[in-house]
Amino acid sequence: MNEMHILAYVKASAAAQGLVLDDARAQRVASHLARTAHLAQLLEGFPLGVEDEPAELYRPLPFSEIPHKEGAP
Amino acid sequence: MKNTALEIEGLDSFALARAIRAGDCSACEVLEASMARIERTDGAVNAFTGKSYPRARQEAAAVDALCARGEALPPLAGVPYAVKNLFDIAGEVTLAGSKINRSHAPAAQDAFLVGRMQAAGAVLLGALNMDEYAYGFTTENTHYGATHNPHDLTRVAGGSSGGSGAAVAAGQVGITLGSDTNGSIRVPASLCGVWGLKPTFGRLSRRGSYPFVHSIDHLGPLADSVDSLALVYDALQSPDPLDPGCHASSVQPVGDLSRGLAGLRIGVLGGYFHEHASAPARDALMIAAKALGATDVVTWPDAVQGRAAAFIISAAEGGSLHLDDLRIRADDFEPLSVDRFIAGALTPAHWYLRAQRFRRVYRDKVNALFQHWDVLLAPATPVAAPEIGAEWIDINGTRHPSRPSMGLLTQPVSFAGCPVVAAPLWPAGSAGLPIGVQVIAAPWREDLALRAAFALQSAGVAHLKPVEL
Repeated sequence: MNEMHILAYVKASAAAQGLVLDDARAQRVASHLARTAHLAQLLEGFPLGVEDEPAELYRPLPFSEIPHKEGAP
Repeated sequence: MKNTALEIEGLDSFALARAIRAGDCSACEVLEASMARIERTDGAVNAFTGKSYPRARQEAAAVDALCARGEALPPLAGVPYAVKNLFDIAGEVTLAGSKINRSHAPAAQDAFLVGRMQAAGAVLLGALNMDEYAYGFTTENTHYGATHNPHDLTRVAGGSSGGSGAAVAAGQVGITLGSDTNGSIRVPASLCGVWGLKPTFGRLSRRGSYPFVHSIDHLGPLADSVDSLALVYDALQSPDPLDPGCHASSVQPVGDLSRGLAGLRIGVLGGYFHEHASAPARDALMIAAKALGATDVVTWPDAVQGRAAAFIISAAEGGSLHLDDLRIRADDFEPLSVDRFIAGALTPAHWYLRAQRFRRVYRDKVNALFQHWDVLLAPATPVAAPEIGAEWIDINGTRHPSRPSMGLLTQPVSFAGCPVVAAPLWPAGSAGLPIGVQVIAAPWREDLALRAAFALQSAGVAHLKPVEL
């Protein structure tokens, strides 16, 4: 994305999110997002396979607490 | 023999705990000395945003009552401390550095770690300044004023736990609690010349603290010596099944810090960490490496991408967390960070998810590194404390934006979740200002980082320096 694309993206996505930005703020936000875009580009070059899942935080239940009783389904 | 107020001010927290236990001074005497120091110095430093003196008097009196009855004292009995104002304190509003949170109800109970400190007998003096919602590295807070570096009042204290670093450096309290997502304990420890510990991600409960980035937030202590740091860290440890991010299922005490370096494989991080360090920061690292006998240069895997991913996840989660307020009252946010919060809220999902997927691969590579090394060293900040209001810093002839760049050397390490002690070094060429060195160990091996830090302290190269205020 070039600067013009980023500014257009900021204005469109802010509107979709219900964020009201005047022109000056939209410009400042776009420059911050441009910095993030540059960093995201660094990750685009990193090889990831379809099996590389996100780092985990969510656990449905601690594993040791799952009851396994004989005869139970 | 009783200690005078002057002698009490000269003791670190570890020694204070011992003096109170031995009956050399009372908890109330220690408290009075600490309150007097705060009143004398905080007009210049601006570390505190709230003081809890009535509670402190009650807690100190309870310790002295235990003493009078001849009962056993808990490990931090009578030791003064304060907390970054994102920790819940029962009956107080948790500001998290913001104006917006002033309208929130007071906390119904203490944060989990404040409860741990109380159980250990420590005495809470108040709440400390920070960057709004922890999104910053300088504690230039527009709502509550900048916190000033006690070693040079024209300079920043670092952030986002700037009040936590400055309060220890100013001798107001010897122990503080802070939070560290991308460097927010290690940066102020580095710039203020105090000890800091960012534990393993998931070691300490975060329950009752105001979050910034759920995926990366850590809590931990800052202190006036390694002995104090280890003492408070052990007191804070406790499994907490109610915090989904608290992964430690048992307490692992630090053990004997004075065991020395025998058997420890210690390396020095080069590459990215060398390129983003100024000459004084490199000098600080070399002083530490020499003291620990570390000569081998080690490459941290994918540090550039690690920092990039930490940056993206922080922006996206931070922006999302505050989206409701950004929609209706953006002008009440900190002017220095509101546009970054909005940009974060607009982060494309692909960038965020790719950063999270990268993190898993990254973690495995970093953990593999520790099959060959026990402790790794790197500077904590690229430069010493910049002046308040500085927009740019110079790193080896290249201009970088001052505020985000203070975390260049800390972000890749915390993103992996490794424990780090920030050790206060005093290099040449920094106009007498400190620069910290990160003492990094494998996840769950805080004990090794603290052992190496203790060796730095014993060698006399890492320590606090008194300030004139």
